[in-house]
Amino acid sequence: MDGFIEVFYRSIIFLIVLFLTTKLIGKKQISQLSFFEYVSGITIGSIAGEAITGLEKNYLQGAGAIILFGIVTILVDVLSLKSKYFRDAIEGKGTVIIKDGKILEDNLKKERYTIDELSALLRQKNIFKVTDVEFALLEPRGNITALLKKENRPLTPKDLEMKMPNEKEPQTVIMDGNIIEEGLRASGKGRGWLYTELEKLGAIIDNVFIGQVDSYGELTIDLYDDKIQVPAPQQRPLLLATLKKTQADLEIFALSTECEKSKAMYKKNADLLQDTIENLSPYLNG
Amino acid sequence: MTVASNVKQCLATIKNIEAQLSSLALNSLEKEAQSAFHDAMLSIGNIKKDLQYRVLELERMEPQYKGS
Repeated sequence: MDGFIEVFYRSIIFLIVLFLTTKLIGKKQISQLSFFEYVSGITIGSIAGEAITGLEKNYLQGAGAIILFGIVTILVDVLSLKSKYFRDAIEGKGTVIIKDGKILEDNLKKERYTIDELSALLRQKNIFKVTDVEFALLEPRGNITALLKKENRPLTPKDLEMKMPNEKEPQTVIMDGNIIEEGLRASGKGRGWLYTELEKLGAIIDNVFIGQVDSYGELTIDLYDDKIQVPAPQQRPLLLATLKKTQADLEIFALSTECEKSKAMYKKNADLLQDTIENLSPYLNG
Repeated sequence: MTVASNVKQCLATIKNIEAQLSSLALNSLEKEAQSAFHDAMLSIGNIKKDLQYRVLELERMEPQYKGS
């Protein structure tokens, strides 16, 4: 029975030590980006396991080893920040595997990767044809990054020469029926505005699971009650439709009037409105 | 529907558009969108002035429909 109690309090102590060590090393330890973090991650884990269950040994030695590993990892991180040479020596460089659409067999051999392994890695990136790849790099962590040839890359608005408006990140203003003040402040709105918008949507705040404000200041919500349909924001598409209707009206006035002066005025304004519609449509679509 | 009432209706729609653009310009977070909405609002304002003048002209020509 004594052993159980011993394992119990050792587990708690090591959980705390592990928590503190990983917190100190930071996010890098979790992602295990470099060789050093990868190795220290594995080692720290097995030391902790060994020290918790190895009752005949002194657990303080294990805790010391974990702390030492943590300190060395932080030290290596700091030195890597300072010196490029150190970084290259410790973390290694990526190896070019495909260049100009051709596989570099020598580099592949140097890294001891077979062509099967290479194509398996490429397939993980949804690439089935080696000739589609312009450039591929074997990262120090053993995964592959590939740049496709221009014609095989996904189509973007830039390729179509479309003008796309820039959008800010949406801010979450309601979570579980509670107002998130931080999000409200970041979107430059107040509680009064939020209550007005909720009233427009016909919802009460207690029923809102999540509410977000997009970069146009429109509120979108998801309700707990999934049977209620929430209207999607319609203001901008409707405004575009109204603009188009007014433009057509002005054209009709221009055609139907007899007065030359008014005809010119209507025509001028119809053209002005057409320009405005063209400028605004990227912002008003969707 | 007379010409005057059609133009008046159009003027009302223009005023509505101006107000909506103004509110969008104030509510948008993105600088570029803000200025696009603001510029559009200003040119709509010019159109509004022209139409207001035309409505006055039409009311003078068709006094029987004044105010309708």
